[in-house]
Amino acid sequence: MPVPSNAGSHRRSRARRLALPGAAIAALTLLSSCAKDAPQDTFQPKGDNARNIDNLQRTPFYIAGGVFVIVFFVVMFCVFKFRDRGQKIPKQTHGKPALEIALTILPALILIGVGIPTVKTLFMLAKTSDTQCVINVTGQQWWWEYDYPVQAGCGGITEPIVTSGEFVFPAKMNVLLKITSRDVIHSFWIPALNGKRDAVPGRVQTLRMEADQPGIYAGQCTEFCGLSHAYMRMDAVALDAASFETWKTNQLAAYESPADGTPAKTGESTFLTQCSRCHQVNGLVNADGDPVISRPDQYVYSGAAPNLTNLMTRFDFAGASFDLITDDCRDKLWSAKPADFSALYLKGVTPECFDPVNLREWLRNAPGKKPMYADPTKLGPTDGKTRGMPNLNLTEDQIDQIISYLTERK
Amino acid sequence: MAIAERPSPVLARSGGTALVTPSSSLGVFRRPVSSTGWRSWVFTVDHKKLGIMYGVAAFVFFIVGGCEALLIRLQLAAGSNKVLSASAYNQMFTMHATTMVFLFVMPMAAAFANYLLPLQIGARDVAFPRINAFGFWCFLFGGLFLNTAWFLGGAADTGWFAYAPNTSVAFSPSHGVDFWALGLQITGIASLTGAINLIVTVLNMRAPGMSLMKMPIFSWMVLVVQFLLLFAIPVITVALFLLTFQRNFGAAFFSVDKGADPLLWQHLFWIFGHPEVYILVLPSFGIVSEVLPVFSRKPLFGYKFVVFSGAAIGFLGWGVWAHHMFASGLGPVSVAVFSVATMAIALPTGVKIVNWTMTLWGGKLRFTTSMMFAIGLIIEFTIGGLSGVTHSVSPSDTQQTDTYYVVAHFHYVLFGGAVFGLFAGFYYWWPKVFGKMLSERIGKWNFWLMVIGMNLTFGPMHILGLQGQPRRMQIWTEFRAGDGFFNGAFWNLVSTIGAFILALGIFTFIVNVFLTYKKGEVTPGDPWDARSLEWMTDSPPKEHNFDSIPTVHALDEFFHRKYVEDEETGELTQVTNYAEIMAEMEAKADKNIHLPSPSYWPIVLAIALPIVAYGVIFNRLLAVFGAAVLLFAIFGWSLEPSVADASDYDPPADGDNGESTKELATLG
Repeated sequence: MPVPSNAGSHRRSRARRLALPGAAIAALTLLSSCAKDAPQDTFQPKGDNARNIDNLQRTPFYIAGGVFVIVFFVVMFCVFKFRDRGQKIPKQTHGKPALEIALTILPALILIGVGIPTVKTLFMLAKTSDTQCVINVTGQQWWWEYDYPVQAGCGGITEPIVTSGEFVFPAKMNVLLKITSRDVIHSFWIPALNGKRDAVPGRVQTLRMEADQPGIYAGQCTEFCGLSHAYMRMDAVALDAASFETWKTNQLAAYESPADGTPAKTGESTFLTQCSRCHQVNGLVNADGDPVISRPDQYVYSGAAPNLTNLMTRFDFAGASFDLITDDCRDKLWSAKPADFSALYLKGVTPECFDPVNLREWLRNAPGKKPMYADPTKLGPTDGKTRGMPNLNLTEDQIDQIISYLTERK
Repeated sequence: MAIAERPSPVLARSGGTALVTPSSSLGVFRRPVSSTGWRSWVFTVDHKKLGIMYGVAAFVFFIVGGCEALLIRLQLAAGSNKVLSASAYNQMFTMHATTMVFLFVMPMAAAFANYLLPLQIGARDVAFPRINAFGFWCFLFGGLFLNTAWFLGGAADTGWFAYAPNTSVAFSPSHGVDFWALGLQITGIASLTGAINLIVTVLNMRAPGMSLMKMPIFSWMVLVVQFLLLFAIPVITVALFLLTFQRNFGAAFFSVDKGADPLLWQHLFWIFGHPEVYILVLPSFGIVSEVLPVFSRKPLFGYKFVVFSGAAIGFLGWGVWAHHMFASGLGPVSVAVFSVATMAIALPTGVKIVNWTMTLWGGKLRFTTSMMFAIGLIIEFTIGGLSGVTHSVSPSDTQQTDTYYVVAHFHYVLFGGAVFGLFAGFYYWWPKVFGKMLSERIGKWNFWLMVIGMNLTFGPMHILGLQGQPRRMQIWTEFRAGDGFFNGAFWNLVSTIGAFILALGIFTFIVNVFLTYKKGEVTPGDPWDARSLEWMTDSPPKEHNFDSIPTVHALDEFFHRKYVEDEETGELTQVTNYAEIMAEMEAKADKNIHLPSPSYWPIVLAIALPIVAYGVIFNRLLAVFGAAVLLFAIFGWSLEPSVADASDYDPPADGDNGESTKELATLG
């Protein structure tokens, strides 16, 4: 709870915890203000939907805290006041119905007071009539895919855009996510923008998204989805309207093959033999000049693999689990002021910021970096298909070439 | 099977200690008649022995589940720790929850219910003693079966609520989920048979004069729980069958590509799972509702309110299951209904807190360890209950569900509620069961270590969750833990340290038990100046519980026999004591006490079930063999008379039938 934290409140709440070990929750709730800038804090809304929740949730938290303090002190009062000091055995009273009824009606009234705004907020959050932009979100083990269908919304989308890891959308716009899954149940959650919504295979469920300002907001899959659940993260990126237009244009820009004779050009052919059967790069053609269409459905159980056309416009990969940039650059991006953020984001992974270590380790042995079911001897139950990326046993040269090639995918 | 009123045909053999050679029993097995040695335990149908066995087995599973918890906390002590691999971690938290819920809290509550319920209502045993034994063996074999998965390719790795389709073979290829589904199926039989047994016992076998509203509150809460089990277990049984058929026989109940809706599992699971929460916690509510009055020297405040709020929880508990699914996408109307229903269930729960507090008010409080655990429960459970109310605010819940805030919530409810209640029960009834007092001095250490440990372990989880740490994650990252000293990293470490303090507290209890066993103080007849019938007999009680069945005139019968209240001033005068009451009961001892004889069949029938289960997983022929054993056991059981034939005893009847039936009862 981001009550403005200052040294004084630290001391006060710490003292309370020490004084009353049993009063843990009240003190601990206060103490939680001490962690600054946890990116997934559920009490720091950065958009209308999360703010509606936040406005609603504070009151019950305070009431709960108050009720606890009362119960605690009444019990403690009894403990000190009525301890056995040799007094007579007390009168055998069997209860006071009036008191009981009063103490049932009072909380009932409080709960009615909480219940009405709850239901109101609930319907507010379910509203879809004010949607200005629709984005499809698909979960699979263990990453999220975002596709932007052709529509007049989102400032107009003329050709579908497919991306993953970072979910880019225009700030100050009512975005509606249509969420589903290709395999097991996942849950989409960007705490700063809204609560969770499960991604259930066979169902399409909606979730509103709105961000006040450009910025990047952390999230995580929150429904246990198997082996690598901890590595299924996502970032939501809000851009100002103009920057979002630029972003869209760039996502749909024509493919540029690397210049002949460069390591990246060799990388392109390595990519064709090693990667493109699962990973799509739009516009890539094979030696015969035919467009290359990846077929992840033949190799991966969920039937999908991240589209790498514009990998270097994103800052992380593999379910937003590993950074493509140095820690310094990441901190700059995450702490950028809203006014500067969009421009910084549109730069993508610059050579100064690029840190190939994670990508290299990933290409060397993906299941070693992120737990995945990719052991070729144990794929019986999935008809020989992997879940996640297998170890491709690439040589160091091949890895270098592929990295050269991928750094140009911007 | 039921305890008949007719005189026993079994003849006396005074001082019967050694095993006597039984004659044949219908040409299949001879009937076991030993009253000492391991056979007297393995083939027993005595509710007290079964209660002790339930307790011992459940405690062993408690230690297993606790070690799993410590491994989890070790893994999470630092961000990208490597104590457990992702696969091992997923198995660990699945089995931690499964073990604690199904193999510790439920059977431990069953231990208390089994042991105490007949004593509290003035009965000599439960209605169906052999079924009672069968239930225990089902639980034990089911639990062992479940845990053998560790050694046979890995345990279940899907979380304890095992959401489909993540449980399908493609997503969980080891046999872990099969072990889980079949193991819980077997322990479910234990719960279901136990429920029927105890319901019949309560409804039919109460002592004369004990109307339902004069029944001790613990027995009441047990009764409510048995009704919950009676209706909840069949639902999980169905769900587990669907899952077993999905995985082993090509069914498609959860195959989305064949048109299934995975939410089916969630509904089935939580229709069972939410009443399950009350199944876990109500017995402990019953325990503290016994303990608080005794050590406050006052009756339970608002007994009727506590009874009816317990029953209300029992009913409302069926209408709130979907609050586990607020993020599942049920639509706003359903969510609104379940949100409001969930708020409503806070009321009867709050009633209990009020009544316990008011029981303390104006009392004469003695702070025994048992009392301290009971007061600890009031405080800790209140925290869990209140965080539960914050969850009922469904939009807010979509932020906090599946984070550590939920983990904190249910550990305050289940550890601060259920487990503290069980420990209050241990200290309170230990002298009743074992005839020796647990050390109060070590008990205080036990209590404080557990209180400090649990608050350090689970308290910080509130913060971690509100700051967005999801549950069930093998690693957390420094980046998402936030900045500052009191960030996620700090609280994760505190939580791990707390877990070890908690473990030390539980170790202290084990030490206490061990020392008490070695050189504990022998229990005085009525160590706590208690109020209810189970104290109106020896400690430990004779096999037939009561020499004569008392006639009940009041709630807190035992107390009202000892003390007489001045009608005007309300002042109490002690008119008699434990020894006198006991002497009186002995003088009126029943001449013919009929108790059921031990039997081989419960354990034989129960052992057939895991054989079938192993067969389903590994080899269908084995399942056929298991089914044959099962049929054989049912056959033997059906033909077995409820008491051993006179000729089973050696030396045979010596003709003093009717005179020494009290000793006789120890043979039965």
